[in-house]
Amino acid sequence: MTGFLVRRIAIAVFVVFVVTLLVAWAVRLSGDPAVMLTGAGNVTEQDLINIRKGLGLDRPFSAQYAGFVGGMLTGDMGKSFMGGTPVAKLVGHALPLTLLLTFVSLALALLMSIPLGIHAAVHKGRWADQTIRIVSLVGLSFPNFWLALMLVLVFGVALRWLPPSGADGVSSLIMPAVTIAIILTATTVRLVRTTMLETLSAQYIMVARAKGLREVVVLYRHALRNCAIPLITYIGLQFGGLIGGVVVVERVFNWPGMGSLAFDAVASRDYPVLQACVTVLATMIVVINLLIDIGYGMIDPRMRSR
Amino acid sequence: MRMMRKWLLSLPLAALLAASPARAAGTLTIAQAQDPNNWDPIATFLISWGSVAGNFFEGLVTRDESLKLQPGLATSWEVLNNGLRLRFHLRQGVTFSNGEPFNAEAVKFTMERLLGPEGKKGPQQSNYTAIKTVEISDPYTVDLVMDQPDPVMITKLAGYGAMMVPPKYVTEKGAAGFATAPVGTGPFKVVDYQPKVSVTLEPNATYWGAKAKLDRVIYKFIAEPDTQLAELQAGGIDIASNLSVAATGIVQKDPKLVLNSITGPTVVVLRLNTAHGPTTDERVRRAMIMAVDRDAIVKQILQGQAKAVVSFQSDLSFGFDPAQKPVPFDPAGAKKLLAEAKLAPGTAMILDFPSNNTTFREAAQAVAGYLSAVGIKVQVRPQEQNVYTNDIIPNGKTGEMFQFGWGGWTFDYDNTAFLLYHSGQHWNPYDKDATLDGMLEAQRLVADRGEREKKLQAIAHYVADHALEIPMYNLNTIYGLNKRVKGFVPPPDNRVRLSGVTVE
Repeated sequence: MTGFLVRRIAIAVFVVFVVTLLVAWAVRLSGDPAVMLTGAGNVTEQDLINIRKGLGLDRPFSAQYAGFVGGMLTGDMGKSFMGGTPVAKLVGHALPLTLLLTFVSLALALLMSIPLGIHAAVHKGRWADQTIRIVSLVGLSFPNFWLALMLVLVFGVALRWLPPSGADGVSSLIMPAVTIAIILTATTVRLVRTTMLETLSAQYIMVARAKGLREVVVLYRHALRNCAIPLITYIGLQFGGLIGGVVVVERVFNWPGMGSLAFDAVASRDYPVLQACVTVLATMIVVINLLIDIGYGMIDPRMRSR
Repeated sequence: MRMMRKWLLSLPLAALLAASPARAAGTLTIAQAQDPNNWDPIATFLISWGSVAGNFFEGLVTRDESLKLQPGLATSWEVLNNGLRLRFHLRQGVTFSNGEPFNAEAVKFTMERLLGPEGKKGPQQSNYTAIKTVEISDPYTVDLVMDQPDPVMITKLAGYGAMMVPPKYVTEKGAAGFATAPVGTGPFKVVDYQPKVSVTLEPNATYWGAKAKLDRVIYKFIAEPDTQLAELQAGGIDIASNLSVAATGIVQKDPKLVLNSITGPTVVVLRLNTAHGPTTDERVRRAMIMAVDRDAIVKQILQGQAKAVVSFQSDLSFGFDPAQKPVPFDPAGAKKLLAEAKLAPGTAMILDFPSNNTTFREAAQAVAGYLSAVGIKVQVRPQEQNVYTNDIIPNGKTGEMFQFGWGGWTFDYDNTAFLLYHSGQHWNPYDKDATLDGMLEAQRLVADRGEREKKLQAIAHYVADHALEIPMYNLNTIYGLNKRVKGFVPPPDNRVRLSGVTVE
């Protein structure tokens, strides 16, 4: 088990290292932060040279990269090119907001998709099942920005129940979370339905029913537990995608999370911010995967040798 | 990671859960697309800086909403020695909002900081290089001694880099500290700044002039124009400062809102590749100008929220010639001219523009349509903004046409013409013309306003005569306002002046 752990952790560290190298290289492929810093405005060539020097961009790539990785290792993420705010402060504000949005969306999605998926499986082929399947297909087809704008128009502008944007109070969390949750539910409900159908045809379910257990107990205690493994795997995978994929929703709702931060950093070629965003997100995804791997290893000894 | 954990657990979630109170009386909320990120006057060129910072920083001179120069922190000034010495008589009894006194020492500190090594790191210094030294003759009289006359200098002192800063505070805080917690002499002061989220101003109780009537101003940074519109409709903000042309109709129909638009500083043209390809032929360029119906584009696509231009400047610009006539829309004449230039019908051309400019995207398609009518096949090629401004334009990788938007806040044609037409300039990849270079250099040495204006007008005529660009339009800045806002005057330079504004 120790050997397995060491191997997995070594791979994880290597992956994060490769990510840092890739991001540092890729952000420098195009664009010039000095020009963006001046709003692409009224500047002379000499201004640009001065600014690049001030930002340390006149140093060779190896020195810039070493500075970035060395800084990350010691907890110093550097300063934003745009205004010199410490990157740790920017990430420190944005990351909790993105995590909050992601967790709440996931929780909402599970709360909706599990009962619906089970209901559809139990009533397979009947109108309830058909309706749930069609509605989930429609949900699957929504582009998230469109759904977001529709929610804003209805609940923000027409009804005025919720603030259209910002991260100001719990009410402002509802619309972005629901947007992500609806789209996530559409896929999850289908997964729950399929795995539930398989499980319900198993012999132990027949035994449970034969014992005279109430249907609710059969479904939620016996069947759901056995559906949990594919569901957790799926959600684990979605989590990584979600953290990086909420950019559009964050932007429409002006939610100042990691997506918005990274988006602005790309547009202005704010290397320190972008490098930190990508590294932090990559590290989180790698850690989640590591935990899943270790979890598998603990459950199933056969996995450890791989 | 130690630092990370601390941040993770502290402010943001608590801030999120404690919703701010509903709109208080006397509080004005403005949405603006961009966070300028750095409030230090010597470190910025962004319009988004000026629109906020104009309310807490002041210069020796100032400009009112009609762009007329007015006394600011100097009550009067004299131009001496043929423009080689500018003497300022300072306003007495002025303090910065932190209590530091404003006097000749503060002026000297501000200007020397701008012209010294700290200024060198920012984009502002080059505007003020004509200044040699700053001389104090008494605590309220200060001279700028010039290396050479700079006719635009007085205007520049009302703008960005030369906003007065408090010496003691800046020295204590350092550039990084000052960038996020600025202090000036203006009618407002910054009380809170959340990077990427908001900046909050409150009245400066010790302000020397008319006191602000608002209790509090909150600028929220909202990048998407549609989100700004939704917030405006929902009552979450009082002023939306970056509405799209498409939003104008919605705002006009809403009984609680009012649309307020004004000539903006930004002029858009299609510059032409005069160094390579078919557009090296002046007749081809002229024909292209004749083939495009600018008035129709302004009316149909921009819904009247713009004005067609004849040169690369708005009609508020110094150097604008009201007598200069636009090239009339004449597709038949264009066809004749193209035939004369022996341009084969169906010749392909490329039009480059930054892909995030959704307004211009439609205008570009219209231009392509007009040009196809005279036998030029245009491929419209969107480019990522950053690559476009950093690589495609300065390195001369554009097609035959490329979109260029320019907003000179000084409203002086020199600022556009010199940087865009003089050979060897960063933003001028193609034009090389010794005559034009000479004209551009000569006007900079003229101290007399009237004479310099004539020279600038001559440059605008020269550019039009040689068909260096397809003039397009001067876009309005479109503000959407909640009707509870009173006393708002839309400024042509985007610097919203909030002293006289109230909310009901």
